[in-house]
Amino acid sequence: MASAAVIRFPGSNCEFETAEVLRRSGVDSRIYNWNQTLELSSARADAYVLPGGFSFQDRVRAGVIASRERIMDIIYEEAAQGKPVLGICNGAQILLEAGLVPGWKPGAVQAALASNMVHGRSGYLSRWVFLKKTTGVPSCPWLQAMGDDPVPVPIAHAEGRFVFRPDDLNRASGQVALAYCDPEGTEAAGWPDNPNGSMLNAAALMNTRGNVLAMMPHPERAYDLWQVPSSLAGSWGDARRAASPGDLGADPGPGEIIFRGLAEYLGVQK
Amino acid sequence: MSDLPGREELREAIASRGLAMTEDEAVKLAGYVGRMPTPLEFHLFDTMWSEHCSYKSSRKVLKTLPTDAPGVVIGPGEDAGVVKFCTHEGREWNLVVAHESHNHPSQVLPVEGAATGIGGIVRDVYCMGARVTGSLDLLRFGNPLGENGETVRSIARGVVEGIWKYGNALGVPNMGGDTEFHPGYDDNCLVNVVAFGMVPADRVVHSFVPSRAHREPYVLILTGKPTDDTGFGGATFASADLDGEQGMGAVQVADPFLKRVLSEANAQVLDMLFSKGVEFGFKDLGAGGIACVTSELAAHGGLGIKVDLDAVPVSVKGLPPEVIACSETQERYGLAVPESVADEVLSIYNEKFEMPRLFPNCRAAVIGRFTEEKVYDVSCRGERAAETPIEYITEGVVYDRPGERVEISTPEPPERHSSPAGDITDMLTSIAGCSRGAVWSYYDSEVQGATMLRPGEADACVSVPVRGSRTGLAVSGDGNPWYGELDPYLGGAHAVGEAVRNVVATGATPICATDCLNFGNPEDPAAFHQFQESVRGIADACRALGFSGGAYPLPIVSGNVSFYNQSSRGKAIPPSPIVAVFGKIHDHRKATDMVLRKPGSAILLVGTRKDELGGGLFYRTCLKHRGGTVPRFRGAHEKKMAEWVLDAVRDGKALSVHDISTGGLAIAAAEMCLASGRLGIELNLDSNPVNLYSETPGYLVEVSEDFAESATLPEFVSRVGTVCPESFLSGVGWSLDLGSVRQRWENRLHRVIWREEEI
Repeated sequence: MASAAVIRFPGSNCEFETAEVLRRSGVDSRIYNWNQTLELSSARADAYVLPGGFSFQDRVRAGVIASRERIMDIIYEEAAQGKPVLGICNGAQILLEAGLVPGWKPGAVQAALASNMVHGRSGYLSRWVFLKKTTGVPSCPWLQAMGDDPVPVPIAHAEGRFVFRPDDLNRASGQVALAYCDPEGTEAAGWPDNPNGSMLNAAALMNTRGNVLAMMPHPERAYDLWQVPSSLAGSWGDARRAASPGDLGADPGPGEIIFRGLAEYLGVQK
Repeated sequence: MSDLPGREELREAIASRGLAMTEDEAVKLAGYVGRMPTPLEFHLFDTMWSEHCSYKSSRKVLKTLPTDAPGVVIGPGEDAGVVKFCTHEGREWNLVVAHESHNHPSQVLPVEGAATGIGGIVRDVYCMGARVTGSLDLLRFGNPLGENGETVRSIARGVVEGIWKYGNALGVPNMGGDTEFHPGYDDNCLVNVVAFGMVPADRVVHSFVPSRAHREPYVLILTGKPTDDTGFGGATFASADLDGEQGMGAVQVADPFLKRVLSEANAQVLDMLFSKGVEFGFKDLGAGGIACVTSELAAHGGLGIKVDLDAVPVSVKGLPPEVIACSETQERYGLAVPESVADEVLSIYNEKFEMPRLFPNCRAAVIGRFTEEKVYDVSCRGERAAETPIEYITEGVVYDRPGERVEISTPEPPERHSSPAGDITDMLTSIAGCSRGAVWSYYDSEVQGATMLRPGEADACVSVPVRGSRTGLAVSGDGNPWYGELDPYLGGAHAVGEAVRNVVATGATPICATDCLNFGNPEDPAAFHQFQESVRGIADACRALGFSGGAYPLPIVSGNVSFYNQSSRGKAIPPSPIVAVFGKIHDHRKATDMVLRKPGSAILLVGTRKDELGGGLFYRTCLKHRGGTVPRFRGAHEKKMAEWVLDAVRDGKALSVHDISTGGLAIAAAEMCLASGRLGIELNLDSNPVNLYSETPGYLVEVSEDFAESATLPEFVSRVGTVCPESFLSGVGWSLDLGSVRQRWENRLHRVIWREEEI
């Protein structure tokens, strides 16, 4: 059976729901503590997920301490083998700090997730946003089930603004996997569709090979249709309003597509 | 007896140590120990006999609250209340709830105070063996536009920051709560916090050493953050034998990161103990720190304990024994376990979860052993720091306080004409009536992946707390200070009534409630009378609003009393009973929110309007009038309305529901339109303020035109409008374009509190 390892660092807090949606997608998942390097290296999972949270209290910078943990050596090796790796929120911050994404020079930190910068507001922000796939890299296993329709998922972060050096903007734009857009799918023109001031409207960035994805929004919190707010604009909001109350089945939500992509890539028969 | 100190000596000791105990209490303590009490004994008893721990002023009044009903597993008394919740895959699950205040610390240091408030309340739920699945905050601030506005705004910002910085990192979804502004809180904000969680019914943990400890050696393990001097009573701190430069202040410092790691480590320890079938006790460290946790674990289990303070991991060297024993360092727990498994417990904390690596000197350690001899025996650096018969520690003190009614004059306004479009706009864009979205936008309401209805989407938040199960949990917390100040009895009754309505509006049946009673000085008969009246109101409402059949009430299963909430000038806050109600919905997918569904639907009014606009938003905002007749509480009718709404949701007839409270029917209708974004409501009501703005309890329910036409409706349900495809709220002879109000309704709070604009 296809398997995924969810890596828990001290301070991670989304490991349980992330492991659960992997399982529900047909991928056997297990949570490994940061210091279970032996167990993890002997298990050799088919995919790896770094869940959200506040690893090591965001000391120094969000994600930086976790990126130096020994267990990351395994992630590094496995990513180099082409295995799918996904970092969600704090997991994305760890992947950038580890130099796995964008990965132009392996191991070097070449992009950052900086403090949100919007419109008279600082600090943490929770809200639903819309994402669309921007590049056609066919090998990104996490996005392979995704079409062109905008996908709503929630964000919940204080440091989610992708920042690049001016010289890197060009090559970075080729690796923006998901961009913030409006409910109709038009690329964001600023707040509120781009919720944090992210350069290139980037919501998720991948490495050059496409197997490692650093994603700020939380698809695991949008796995079921009942998790979608009734007030949401667009077709997913319409589906939610039409289905409830009383008739809200076990229908999948918009975020399910990320995990379905992995399952398809790993050849899981549903 | 010649060793007994005189009153003069005791008075001196109280003053020099900055104790809160009275001289009579000190005499009583000296009599218990038969000599001059040690510093540790003074501080321990000072804490145990404080209002906070002993409920000495409130206990007799609290006994009048209904606490028992089918489904209640543990009522008030332990760290949290426990109620039966659901069965999933053959396993029974209980709901664990706790409710507390952190008012004074939040006024002094808003960020730390509010953060520690969450930290403390989640520990109460964790230590029952539960996983915490949600928290909510009931916030009361002064007038942000008043004479003390600058301070009020800065406190509001700080409190919200403390809540998000702690709660989000902890990974506990924030289920909203409410935020009210009233000038009576200008010098004394209220930060009430509720936390809840889930525990399998066969794994509820108690906070005392098990009776097995009579037959085999049991030890006490202290785990978590190394003990420092934080949270040690301020005045005491200043006068104790401490080097000033080591001082870290008298306010506790919360650490959500450690708490998160500790929670996962605790979960593994509890798993291990249950799988071995070992009996154990577990308790969090709150007020009174090590002294309270050690003495209470022992005393409530009928044993004594020997505590070795030298074994306590500390982060500051050379602390006096009373500071080590009584400081309120956060993020610590005490475990009573058989000595035979102690090493295994220690290794989970110290090796598997590497606690010493995550924080300097953070680790689990054995610091005491339970004894047959019922003595509380504490040693430190070779000296005896306390030696007290243990039953005295938990015995407590009780006072009979007199209450005295103060007549409140509540005149009606001389004239009350309304132009609905302008008045509704003013109410929606007032500080009291505008959206609370700015507050909620800082909170993570979705971590754990179990949230269905977030703050602002419905009257209550709804989550699905048992993974894989369909059973939904709805929660809402309420309390209206404007009612409380006009009528403390109705303030209490409506706090229950509104929280019940909010839960019912989602289709959930109320199963239990918690309360936090915030008042002024209990030694002032006027303030104490307000307390008595509010409790009477809560009790009456709970007796009227039981939903478990027969004459059973809605049980109050946990709560807290906070007295001495007053300004430096001695003016007490408005009577502020705050109630949280928890409800259960068999299939969460049937839960209703307040988002309008379809143009052409009918809007039904549940609850005939009465002329009772006193304390309401219309009088306050549009007429600048603070008096008037507060809505009566009609218990039997309130219950009938709730049952009708529950049936409508259960039968799938209700498409959206919103309760009528602040601002009355018109504001409820406007909020439904604003929540849905694109739709509006055409009301068949003219500008009569009683119909539009009276806060008589009730509901608005969206149903299909067919149902409205064909169903037999009870006399208290009538049709008042139709959903229309544009974002307008209109009536007979008036119309309001909500598109023009939306931005101001949405942004008002953010502009005033965070951006310091429009002041």
